[in-house]
Amino acid sequence: MSVHSHPGDDTLLRYAAGVLPAGPALLVEIHLQACPHCRAAVRRFEAVGGVLLDAAEPAALAGDAFARTLARLGPAPVSGPVSGGLTGSGARRDHLEAGPSGSAAAPRAEGLVLPDGVRLPRPLASRRIGAMMPVAPGVRMGRVHVPEDGQSNVFLFQIGPGRAIPRHTHAGTEYTHVICGGFSDPSGHYGPGDLVEADGDVDHSPRVDDDGTCICLAAFEGRLRFHGLLGVVLRPFI
Amino acid sequence: MSALVVAIARTGDREAFALLFRHFAPRVKAFLMRSGLAANTAEELAQETLLTVWRKASYFDPTRAAASTWIFTIARNLSIDMKRRERNMGTVDLDAVDEEADETSGETILMSAEREARVRAALAKLSEEQAAIVRLSFFQEKPHSQIAQELGIPLGTAKSRVRLALSRLRTLLEDLK
Repeated sequence: MSVHSHPGDDTLLRYAAGVLPAGPALLVEIHLQACPHCRAAVRRFEAVGGVLLDAAEPAALAGDAFARTLARLGPAPVSGPVSGGLTGSGARRDHLEAGPSGSAAAPRAEGLVLPDGVRLPRPLASRRIGAMMPVAPGVRMGRVHVPEDGQSNVFLFQIGPGRAIPRHTHAGTEYTHVICGGFSDPSGHYGPGDLVEADGDVDHSPRVDDDGTCICLAAFEGRLRFHGLLGVVLRPFI
Repeated sequence: MSALVVAIARTGDREAFALLFRHFAPRVKAFLMRSGLAANTAEELAQETLLTVWRKASYFDPTRAAASTWIFTIARNLSIDMKRRERNMGTVDLDAVDEEADETSGETILMSAEREARVRAALAKLSEEQAAIVRLSFFQEKPHSQIAQELGIPLGTAKSRVRLALSRLRTLLEDLK
């Protein structure tokens, strides 16, 4: 998979810093799986975080902070050769194990038709995805549940060949990740693995390639507004 | 500092832990307060971060990252999880991708100390305003509007200055893998 469109540096920095909201962060996480280039950028920004941490003016701790931490240390950690474990994975490992149960339990985007050989990205595996509702000719969308951030709007789109997403604008940035197929808008053509960021002021109607269905994920910061009748139809939805 | 983490991994060295705690716990607390956590929450998480350093020391790979970077990612992950728990939600692996090995060939691995020095030098080369922009981007959930406010510039200008500052930083760090 060759990726042409990447998240902006500021998005990658906010991801590395842990301040990107959960919806966009989910799309960035999916992008990173396919993009060594951006993984390297995130690692560089994490190193920036390390340097900022090191340079922070120390804040006074409670008098007994060290004693209390020592009391919780427990036995020495399992010794052995330093493993090939990766930067930052330490804190996450537990959570992976304690995380929501696997894909079997999660209702999966009822009505979604994946082309042969296409699978949903792994970070979606444990997510609940609402039924794919028809919202325009050839267009279905289902909400991806991101319970850790109630304000996040993440949708899975399934758009037929040659169809367009209805014209819309958004208050904040829109992030789109292409899972399969491709689409064009005035800024260019996008394919699998691409992550596209569009500013809120962009008023666009991306059109899917003629030769196949496009399945993509979109995360919106801020309120999404469709023009015309569809806006009325979708209001309860978004 | 990296040697201290390795000492914990190898021999459960409590002296090494004490030194790491003394250096990092107050800085993690300050860092978390800067990102908006209350002092007592930041203190709890700082202790939790250092406990995680103790427990997960064997996952630390000194050829890939400086101790400060690794500890930063632990504090970041704990603080993301805490914010999500506050919203009464489960935890999610934000960067499960970290679990996948990157194909870094031997010669592209810079020793972590050198790496850290490079990042520090790059930050020092940024103008004062650009360095401030990087810091604000790190700590703010809505960095653009915050930057506009703190620097007293319009939002559109803030966005383009963020782009400029980060592209400068990227150029300075381009060859860091």
